Amino acid sequence: MSETADTVIRTMLDQTDGDIAAYLEACVHCGECAEACHFYLATQDPKYTPTYKLMPLVKAYKRHKAPLRSVKGMLGLLPAEVSEEELREWESLVYDSCTMCGRCTLVCPMGLDIAGTIRKMREGYSAAGIVPDGLRTARENVVKTGSPMGVTAKALKAQIARQEKETGLEIPLDKQGAEYLALFSSMEVMGYPEVIGAYARIFARAGIDWTISTEAYEATNIGVQIGDGPLARKLVARIVDAARKLGVRHVISPECGHAYGAIRWAGPNMLGETFPFEVIHIIELLDRLRAEGRLEIGEKDARRITLHDPCQIVRRGGLLKEPRRLLDDACADFVEMKGSGVTNLCCGGGGGVSANPRAEELKTQAFSCKKAQLDAIDGLKAVVVPCANCRGVFEDGLDALGGDYEVIGLSELVADTLKD
Amino acid sequence: MLRQWMAGLTFALSVMLSAAFSVAPMVAPAQEANAPGSEAEAPATAPATDKPRPGTLEDILRRQQGLKLDPERLLRRPAPPAPIPLPPQLGTLGRQSDADLWRALKSGAYARPSSDTASGKLMQTAGEEWRRLRREVILKYAPWLPAGVLGLLVLFYLIRGRIRIRGGRSGRTIPRFSMSHRIAHWFLASVFILMAISGLMILIGRPVLLPLLGHEVHSVLLSAALQGHNLFGPVFILALLIAIVRFMRGNFFQWADVKWILRGGGMLGVHAPAHHYNFGEKTWYWIVVFVGLGMAATGLLLEFPWLVETLLYHQLATILHALGAVVMIAVALGHIYIGSIGMEGALDSMLKGEVDENWAREHHDLWYEQVTGKKAVHGGGGDDTPPPAAAAEQT
Amino acid sequence: MGLVEFIEGPAFWFALAVFVAGALWRFVGIIRIGHKPDLAPPKGSAGWGWIRGNLRHFFPRGLFAERTWMHVLGGYAFHLGLFAVMFFAAPHVDFIRERLIGVGWPALPRWGFIIAAEIAFAGLIVLWVRRFSDPVMRLISDWDDHVGSWLTFLVMLTGCLALERAHVSLRALHMGLVELWLIYFPFSRLMHAFTFMLSRGATGASYGRKGMTL
Ligand code: SF4
Ligand code: SF4
Repeated sequence: MSETADTVIRTMLDQTDGDIAAYLEACVHCGECAEACHFYLATQDPKYTPTYKLMPLVKAYKRHKAPLRSVKGMLGLLPAEVSEEELREWESLVYDSCTMCGRCTLVCPMGLDIAGTIRKMREGYSAAGIVPDGLRTARENVVKTGSPMGVTAKALKAQIARQEKETGLEIPLDKQGAEYLALFSSMEVMGYPEVIGAYARIFARAGIDWTISTEAYEATNIGVQIGDGPLARKLVARIVDAARKLGVRHVISPECGHAYGAIRWAGPNMLGETFPFEVIHIIELLDRLRAEGRLEIGEKDARRITLHDPCQIVRRGGLLKEPRRLLDDACADFVEMKGSGVTNLCCGGGGGVSANPRAEELKTQAFSCKKAQLDAIDGLKAVVVPCANCRGVFEDGLDALGGDYEVIGLSELVADTLKD
Repeated sequence: MLRQWMAGLTFALSVMLSAAFSVAPMVAPAQEANAPGSEAEAPATAPATDKPRPGTLEDILRRQQGLKLDPERLLRRPAPPAPIPLPPQLGTLGRQSDADLWRALKSGAYARPSSDTASGKLMQTAGEEWRRLRREVILKYAPWLPAGVLGLLVLFYLIRGRIRIRGGRSGRTIPRFSMSHRIAHWFLASVFILMAISGLMILIGRPVLLPLLGHEVHSVLLSAALQGHNLFGPVFILALLIAIVRFMRGNFFQWADVKWILRGGGMLGVHAPAHHYNFGEKTWYWIVVFVGLGMAATGLLLEFPWLVETLLYHQLATILHALGAVVMIAVALGHIYIGSIGMEGALDSMLKGEVDENWAREHHDLWYEQVTGKKAVHGGGGDDTPPPAAAAEQT
Repeated sequence: MGLVEFIEGPAFWFALAVFVAGALWRFVGIIRIGHKPDLAPPKGSAGWGWIRGNLRHFFPRGLFAERTWMHVLGGYAFHLGLFAVMFFAAPHVDFIRERLIGVGWPALPRWGFIIAAEIAFAGLIVLWVRRFSDPVMRLISDWDDHVGSWLTFLVMLTGCLALERAHVSLRALHMGLVELWLIYFPFSRLMHAFTFMLSRGATGASYGRKGMTL
């Protein structure tokens, strides 16, 4: 066995805990999951069947870790060792064709968490350095500048200054003892800086004491997407340190699905501690403010608007009703997409897929499923996408496939409809 | 071309089948009709008497219970037939032989019963007739039908070999059968095979298996076959109904089928047109529908005999069930052959749901044109004509 | 000891022992791999999630079932039918009472058995047909899937053939196949009959912690 293969397999198996083992054991090869995966739906190519993407890990597990393997070994019933070619062949399946959306889990009669298992596989691949080029560049950027798009503190400050001018509000930077620390994703800072302005307007209205740290402003975690454990830990640690230093009580995760999962659910386990602050998603916070009557809505948005549920937020994050309550307040004509909520369809670009140029075409193909859902709504004008990454995918996809819908963030919508 | 020939064979078999079916119902009643004085015929041969009659056991019981008699029913009951005189009884001098007496009884001589609760017939011969028909006609000849077809197929394969796709595969495929079509098909196919094997064991186990296996093994096997056949019968009906519904679309005869027949299914060297299904396939479908439903009906009667009381129907059911079975098995053999080893590319449609474009153009040109929007160009019959793929691509 | 006595005596006990020991070993083995405690502050209960996950996945979601209803129906038919036949066929109840645990329960009447068996067969055949005719299924199926299906089919079939209870040899044939099935079980995917709890539970628990009511 080559050293690379050995590293991949060893790391993957190290990561295989009792839960993952149960998944690998329980799959009955019923094929239901294919019907859930947007990559299969869009291409009808059987290789995109979710459980098929796990094959190398299944084989390695059966050979090296599964109970009763010794008895099976005596009978010669163990699968062959996984070869490096096989692993490399699967690399594109593991990185390009899984957005870790978790939709397959819903339909699976055995409830397999394919997304979580894919993540473990990526750990193995990343440990051996088998990573798609696009993601590797992003990783280098992160190591250098702290952000996958190379957003430096200077660039951030420039964007903030612009937003201060636009809103006429002060945006506190590195404010010691603030109650809330807001994080953003690079995509927001560079592509949708009006989000920062929206925060400023909402928080000013709600009377929230907040700040942005120039040391830790980036919420996305490329380490999690690639499966690079040490890097992921480093990125989370950076946020935790900054939050400690500023003495905040809440850290706000931005409108970004993976970022939320990385800090809220995976973060404490990576660092091995429970954080001294609360991690709260911006949608959760807005909903809380709404409930407390601190968000007074003026004129509602009259357009026909629908909501895209980002997988990491609704399905794997548990925020289902919150965005809907906010939208009910902010929109006059809110309609649901078919299958919205926990069974929503992924945009096709999560889990690092959108950062991976090799997967571009596949991603657009997958987005066509999403677009069909949009097209099915009569007279639709805009779609609210509370995730900066999904938002980028929507814009690219609508660009490529044609489609005249405005794509907006939730905070901006809320900020725009606030009573003057 | 030979493919069409095969389909022609299918057709021929279907004709044989319908012939068998129109004859079969006549055979069994004929036995009955020959015996004069069967219940159905009684009123015609014997004039009704209007003398008051004592009632049947049932009438007596009703009377005893103080219930009112149903005069309608009493009137409707056929009057006892006029007795046919028996030959003089055997006298002390032996004027008459026993044989004469029995013969007379068998041919329907009536006794003079003390009451007319019995129909008056002394000897019921339908069972014996049925047994003889079953043993001496059905068992003797029917199994040769599938065996013969099998032989023909082997011969055909040896002479002609596999029918290849003219011009080879194009590599491009057209979807032909959806997942639900395939499930419906294989569901029916697998149950059909089980039913066919167990049914054949029941039908010809005694002449064929018994000498080979001996009584002990044979009886075990047959007990198992019977259980299996009875158990899978209802599953077969379910599968049959699903398949009938699923495949109904496109299986009605169309104008192109007439042309197909006129051109001898392609045997005359001219191309025979076909839609999604050709004439042979459609015929097979309707055989499955009608013979299949016939098998289902007769099978139900055999499995649940209390459904009908008349003995005649049960006898008829066994005969028809056996005839239908051999016909279906025979035609199915042809179907299996042409769908698998007999023709390149045919199995794809049921296994993968997709067929090669060249296959579709060759065998189902009208359908091909409809789904692809291309014109089907035919090679004109000679195997050495250039593959029509190029021509089709230009359009 | 004749072949029949052997099959119905020692061979059965051996197979049963392999089944129990193997299945237990594997089940416990999976649990014993264990996992690290989750330090993220929970939003809901993992325990309830475990239970809810287990129950929720018994039922298909409408959105997907629309697309695969034939398969879903087949799956239900087979599993429910098999369950009924396995535990409520009169000969099985007798067998369990007389030879295994000493207590029995009401058995299905003959017609009930037949209906259950028909349903199970219909379902199994549908599942099996799908396995070889659907491109996805062909890609992901391995020999274990096929052996498991066939073995189960043969066990069911021989069981029904022996229904008359007239021939000892048919019963022994059924028993022999059951023994093969029992021995094969813990080493194969048939184990999903037990492991489903673990995988559904793992997902359910993690969802439960996140406060999701799926
Ligand atoms: S998690 Fe999503 S993208 Fe990944 S295999 Fe499952 S359905 Fe497909
Ligand atoms: S749905 Fe679940 S059990 Fe079925 S094949 Fe997919 S992962 Fe395996």
